[in-house]
Amino acid sequence: MSPATPPKASFLTALTDLPKNVWKSIFRNPLPSNDLERSSTSFTNFFLHIHPVKVHKNSLRPAYTLGLGLISFFLFVILIVTGILLMFYYVPSTTQAYDRMLDLRGSVAFGTLLRNMHRWGAHGMVAVVFMHLCRVFFTGSYKKPREFNWVVGVILFLLTLFMSFTGYLLPWDQLAFWAITVGTAIAGYAPVIGKDIQFLLMGGTSVGQEALLRFYVLHVAVLPAVLTLAIAIHFWRIRKDGGLSRAEDADPVVSLEAAPADKASVLEPKKLYGFQGLVRGPLPKVGQIPDNTVFSWPNLFLAELFTFVVTLSAILVLSLLFNAPLEEPVNALHPPNPAKAPWYFLGLQEMVSYSAFWGGIGVPGIFVLLLLGTPYMDRSTKGVGKWFSRDRLLANTIFITFVVANIIFVIIGTFFRGANWAFVTPW
Amino acid sequence: MRFALAIGTFLILVVHGIVFYNQFGHPWERNQNTYFDQAKVLAKTDAEKAALAARKPRIEQIVVSNFGETRVDRCTTCHIATDDPRFSSHAEPVKTHPYSPTLGDFQKDGKWERRHKFSEFGCTVCHDGQGRGLDAEYSHGKDEYWPDPLLGFVTQDNWRKDHAPKLKGKEYMQANCAQCHTDTAFPGTALVTRGRQIFFASNCYGCHRIEGLSDGTIGPDLSDVGRKWKLDYLWGRITDPKSILATSIMPKFNLKEEDVKALVAFLKSRKGRNFAETEIQRFKVKLTGGAELVQATIKPVKINPPEMVKQGEKLVLDRACTACHKLGDRDGGIAPDLSFEGSLRDSEWVYAHFKNPKSTMSDSIMPAFRFTDDEFKAMTAYLMTLRGQATPASGEAIYKNLCLRCHGEKGDGHGPIAEHLDPYPRDLTKAGFMNSKSEARLVNSVRNGVNGTSMPAWGKAVTEEQAKAVLGYIQTTFTKEPRRELKAKAIPETNPVAMSPESVTRGEALFVNRCAGCHGRKGDGKGPNSLDIQPKPRNLRNSFFVNSVDDKRLFESIQYGVQGTAMPPWIDYGLTNNDVGDLVNFIRSINPKTKGGQHAAAIQ
Amino acid sequence: MAVNLKRSSGEDSDGGKTSRRRMLGWLTGAGLAGSAGLSAVSNFVFIKPRATYGQPQRFSVGKPEDFPSGTRAILAARGICIVREGTKLAAISITCTHLGCTVGAADTGFACPCHGSRFDQDGNVTGGPAPRPLPWFQITLAPNGEIEVDKDIEIVPGSYLSL
Repeated sequence: MSPATPPKASFLTALTDLPKNVWKSIFRNPLPSNDLERSSTSFTNFFLHIHPVKVHKNSLRPAYTLGLGLISFFLFVILIVTGILLMFYYVPSTTQAYDRMLDLRGSVAFGTLLRNMHRWGAHGMVAVVFMHLCRVFFTGSYKKPREFNWVVGVILFLLTLFMSFTGYLLPWDQLAFWAITVGTAIAGYAPVIGKDIQFLLMGGTSVGQEALLRFYVLHVAVLPAVLTLAIAIHFWRIRKDGGLSRAEDADPVVSLEAAPADKASVLEPKKLYGFQGLVRGPLPKVGQIPDNTVFSWPNLFLAELFTFVVTLSAILVLSLLFNAPLEEPVNALHPPNPAKAPWYFLGLQEMVSYSAFWGGIGVPGIFVLLLLGTPYMDRSTKGVGKWFSRDRLLANTIFITFVVANIIFVIIGTFFRGANWAFVTPW
Repeated sequence: MRFALAIGTFLILVVHGIVFYNQFGHPWERNQNTYFDQAKVLAKTDAEKAALAARKPRIEQIVVSNFGETRVDRCTTCHIATDDPRFSSHAEPVKTHPYSPTLGDFQKDGKWERRHKFSEFGCTVCHDGQGRGLDAEYSHGKDEYWPDPLLGFVTQDNWRKDHAPKLKGKEYMQANCAQCHTDTAFPGTALVTRGRQIFFASNCYGCHRIEGLSDGTIGPDLSDVGRKWKLDYLWGRITDPKSILATSIMPKFNLKEEDVKALVAFLKSRKGRNFAETEIQRFKVKLTGGAELVQATIKPVKINPPEMVKQGEKLVLDRACTACHKLGDRDGGIAPDLSFEGSLRDSEWVYAHFKNPKSTMSDSIMPAFRFTDDEFKAMTAYLMTLRGQATPASGEAIYKNLCLRCHGEKGDGHGPIAEHLDPYPRDLTKAGFMNSKSEARLVNSVRNGVNGTSMPAWGKAVTEEQAKAVLGYIQTTFTKEPRRELKAKAIPETNPVAMSPESVTRGEALFVNRCAGCHGRKGDGKGPNSLDIQPKPRNLRNSFFVNSVDDKRLFESIQYGVQGTAMPPWIDYGLTNNDVGDLVNFIRSINPKTKGGQHAAAIQ
Repeated sequence: MAVNLKRSSGEDSDGGKTSRRRMLGWLTGAGLAGSAGLSAVSNFVFIKPRATYGQPQRFSVGKPEDFPSGTRAILAARGICIVREGTKLAAISITCTHLGCTVGAADTGFACPCHGSRFDQDGNVTGGPAPRPLPWFQITLAPNGEIEVDKDIEIVPGSYLSL
């Protein structure tokens, strides 16, 4: 451009076009109305570019995914936001923590609601992450090439539990104190390093100020960071492993007549990603392969927005209706009777009541190892992408047995255990 | 889809709106506005009015750090007229806190002045409740999880409906007054003082420990009971212990309601440490055991020899002996009947038993109470006058009068007080046992008692004929098998092995090998198998028992077993008379031959 | 499926459907924007404490007779100076209006040790960088006969409480 002063008219134009230009500078695209713009919207937006430009119709079927992974993620976002807000009022001190809970309930505006959202969000996340794990198992989605992503998923599940566990101590009420006392004692049963882990977690020989501070740091800094990283890897791997799993017959069979004879050995149509895919693929003509994909904008994004709205409204409504419990202040001499862990650990507690090592370390340890090893032991490629496929009868049966056993233990622990952990009937 | 999305976002908006709206228009804001309006009417000067007009509703709080941890009391946010004497006839919450000389308030120039200024004391120091709350439900402590609901004003929903009305009344607040006013003669804490007296008069201290006041070990430590438990629990635990804990062995004291109230207030005042104490005072109490505190609470009765029996009777009746024992128509249902004590024991035994119950009965659960020696003597003298009624003639009547309390209605040993006796009463339905003992021995047990157990010597009350009659009744009613001819047993009259350290060592090795499973390594009858055995294995360290039986009987029990119990005939398992001799020597060696047995040293 | 590069896609023949979609889009957008706005405001309300943890802003300082005429009592912990002249009482802030140091008593009034601001006995600036006079707080005689100061309410300097 020449150094001459721009005409007055163009300055006026600049003024009138200011909103449009600001919009363009941020979003680069107008609201898309053709396929090129739809693609462009997906990959030029920071928040959207994790998504593929086009998404397989199977991934959008609510009945297939139930939206569980996405719900878990949105719950995590809600937890991060409410958690950061709660940090403004929380003090990790044995003399102040409980008082701060009372203040949140009493004098802080929206304090009760935010605590409720954080509590119910955490419970919801544990439940949804577990259901997501079940979904992935029942549809056989951990199979090649998604083995590693399954492992990351199992780690995410454990991190979620640990996150919830560390958060439990923070209100410093009776429930918290005794749940953590029991929990760290269970860690103490791990072979060889158990006592050291227990000592490291508690920062002393009993649950006290040091333990509270340690659990606080784990809960608000260490674990969220690790969890965020693991989630990023999880999402990235979904893309790199070829999107969500789907049945073999989910894509139309492509006539290969057009393909050169020397490439005829590559029979399956592959979805293409970027130029590398274009170069490697059998069919160079992108967009002309008959496939079952649709543009992410607006199909996927609307679905995601919808999931978010549903998740948020569910948490909000729950938080309006039910208050997060706050039990008596810590009394280190008197456990409440019965001293119960949160519901998702009640299965564990029930097992621990039979044997501390086997219930707390042995059986859960074996279960986790089995989970981690599943994709490397089950090498069959059949039954992917279908719920309860008949090809996977054995694997599904074993898994269901574990799940049902745990659910039964949780139900026993929740409803059938009274004072001194004696068996009672709830009616 | 898009439609559902629109509805969803609308829902979120509505919920947000509700949440937002909920943050405004608090009840306390309305309270404060009411107060400002009414105060404006009462205001005398324009400046006052202007000052009120400038005030806006906000959270009022009193921060107090004089009493333990820092307290933040926001009570005056609602109770905003607490210190405004013009509102004394208004309704709560905008009402003046009453002035009262009992609280130390005084009048100066015709105006009331407070002794305890709210700005210095806050509210929860006296009232309890949750100072930080701003919602009546939470701040008054109605929430079942709040440990200290407004003392004497608020009951929680999960409290027993029949207790709740009795737990209201501002006199309960004396428990908090007593945190600073520890003087036992302080007029403002009459209820707590009365409770403390009952704690001693009803012998609560015999079982319970309260730091600086008592050191009983049978029941739970009550040093900080007021901090741990709410009024409801304390009331229930005193009036009906089993209703709260089924396995409780605490007797029902049947106290009058106002006494229970006093006791509850006293217990509520025990919070581990009170505000008036200093570390030094506490340490002193630890060193001296707080004896002067006890003396200040309960004055010993001055015993006047001519009236000794009368005074003893009064002591026995007043000081809750019948909370456990039976005497006439009073029955605690835990300990033996005292109605025949004069015919069963001699005064020496009773006195020694008073001084230290374990000195006459190894496993007695009776605590050693803190009476003076003179008081013990008077009570002994009174008990010695108790001879019961004339013993009836028929076996059945004798059994029902004398035996049933321990041996039970069905003769199976599960009498009403049996579970508190150690050793457990004999099961008379076991024919194996009954028929393997000679009638002479059974009569002997009845008339001379069994040393070291709760079976007293009935000899002065029951003649030999009567003993035979009652045994006959037991035989036909409970044992239900006719007596058989006793088989001859080859039992040495005396121990063939002389007592020597070598013999004891051999005996101990044998004992650990053969007997410890049931009788325990120490011979105290608490071996690992003892849990499943009924009757329990004999405590071989019960010197009163062991020293009262001769070697012949020990030989018989070991070699031929005790039928009807888990004790097998060891002759079948290859024990020779010499082995048994070593065992007997070992058993004798762990029971010193002093008069009082192992606990004798304790009363010397 | 062919790549569609036209500016508007197939549905535009059905104008009703498009306008319904647009309306739903607006509704959704409005709902989300409204919620986001409310949340943002709520969060600011949340972060602003309604009750602080220090000493309360409204407090009692004692009876009038505790302050005989001519008193200039600095209550450092409360951050005020109680001034009594005859039957007139005032509570003057001792927090410097410049940068918040606590001013000390000087012969002529108050002096700030940090940057040399000087105030006269009524808190008016007589020198140094202080931009405003020291504020006066509302002072009232409470119904129970004690003097109450409310640091939340500033009054016009020179308006005394007359006993």
